[in-house]
Amino acid sequence: MANDKNAGSGKLGTFGYNALALSIFILLWTIVSWISESLFLPTPWTVLKSFLDLCTYGDVEGISLGMHIFKSTLRIFAGFVAACILGIPLGILMGLYPRVYDSTKSVIEPIRFIPPVAWIPLVIVLLVGFSRYAFIIWLGAFFPIFIGTLLSVRSVNPTHIDVPRSFGAKRLYIIRKIVIPSTLPDIFTGMRVGMGIGWDCIMAAEMIGGENEGLGVMILKYAELIRIEDIMVGMIVIGAIGFFINEIFIFVERRVFKWKEAIVIS
Amino acid sequence: MAGRKVKIEVRNLSKHFDDLIVLHQMDFDIYEGEFLCVVGPTGCGKTTFCNVVTGLLPITEGSITMGGEKIDFKKHNVSFVFQEPSCIPWRTIWDDVKIGLEIRKVPKKEINERVSAILDLTGLTEFKDFYPSQISAGMKQRVVIARSFVTEPDLLLMDEPFGQLDSSTRFYIENQLIKVWQKTKRTIIFVTHNLEEAVYLSERILVCTQKPTGIKEEVIVDLPHPRDITDREFVKIRNRVTDLVKWW
Repeated sequence: MANDKNAGSGKLGTFGYNALALSIFILLWTIVSWISESLFLPTPWTVLKSFLDLCTYGDVEGISLGMHIFKSTLRIFAGFVAACILGIPLGILMGLYPRVYDSTKSVIEPIRFIPPVAWIPLVIVLLVGFSRYAFIIWLGAFFPIFIGTLLSVRSVNPTHIDVPRSFGAKRLYIIRKIVIPSTLPDIFTGMRVGMGIGWDCIMAAEMIGGENEGLGVMILKYAELIRIEDIMVGMIVIGAIGFFINEIFIFVERRVFKWKEAIVIS
Repeated sequence: MAGRKVKIEVRNLSKHFDDLIVLHQMDFDIYEGEFLCVVGPTGCGKTTFCNVVTGLLPITEGSITMGGEKIDFKKHNVSFVFQEPSCIPWRTIWDDVKIGLEIRKVPKKEINERVSAILDLTGLTEFKDFYPSQISAGMKQRVVIARSFVTEPDLLLMDEPFGQLDSSTRFYIENQLIKVWQKTKRTIIFVTHNLEEAVYLSERILVCTQKPTGIKEEVIVDLPHPRDITDREFVKIRNRVTDLVKWW
């Protein structure tokens, strides 16, 4: 189709605009830090040097930046997978059987409104090591995934359900072939939101979790030393990882849900 | 209609929603291979009638029988074309059309043959790998028609299926429908509020009353297809149906 060519040039155009936006941002940052001459606002080049030093020599305790990234990502991944494994089936179940949700919401809803960060002191006391972080991430990621799935199941287009029903389809067929495919885009959105909240939680959890590795711990170490350029490396790495993960989600979403792309044949 | 075999018998059919009586003691027959239109004032319960016939809503009183047996769409082969757009967004045209056959566990080879044949008949073959979001509203309705006919239904119920189409697309799809019906000779109940459409398509028209809905009168449309909407006889029948539908 003619649209394919446009799509290709569109992607290049988007990439070009993003590269330009990033260049302008770096330029403005450089100008502001030069003008201010403040020790607390390092130039991008100072931050880049710190990044290379952290990669090569590690932090004040000799722990490399790669190890900090690995530890944080692993914790996120564990909590996120657990949130998906529990949140998606539970959301589907409670969406299909609203009475289950209605009968248990006095427990579910108050827990949903407790910020995951508020659990940290309790978790430090009750859990140990890796499970502390996984639990906090799980708590943060679980509710967007669970609620997204639950609401999506409830809002499946009734006509789409009536189509197989009118051919005599059984309930299991309708769940497999209509309800689940219909809810997948919303589940995916819930997962993206859950992943973002997971990163919020890991930072907070690592800052007070008592271990030496993780991006949150690294930022805190340098905050105590007032080494802004190293703090900014931690911040930028978190942003870059978040951006990268989000792009992966978008890529998979476009592949899996290509039926959502509207190209009308005239 | 004398001499034609009765396919479906509707007897004393009533449907109540608590105190609201929507359908009230409806009695009529539908003949084998007939194209029957049901018309009536807006809000008279035409969609309720369709939902009751297909079993999507339970009957309050009376019966609908096909070949002497109570109609049951798990046993009888009944297809339904909905008023709302009903293509399944994540299924390609091919997969959407085959859904009824898939549910009825028809062998794969037969599915392929039947789906190919109906896509040819409805002019959709070259779009078989497209998703509904990639085709126009008129084509979507052709997909729904193909999906309904591919199961070779004993009864096909169509609930104002072309209500959301512009007039030229509607005219084209109506002709497609007639073509498919003439080729397959399925029994069709077509519910519409468009009186010209009813006269254009059907062999017989049942005119419903205001709520509680009953059958006011039946009008035979004994005109050959394709019909000419400017033909004197066509206009005469249309005017008669219009007079019958008037409630003011």
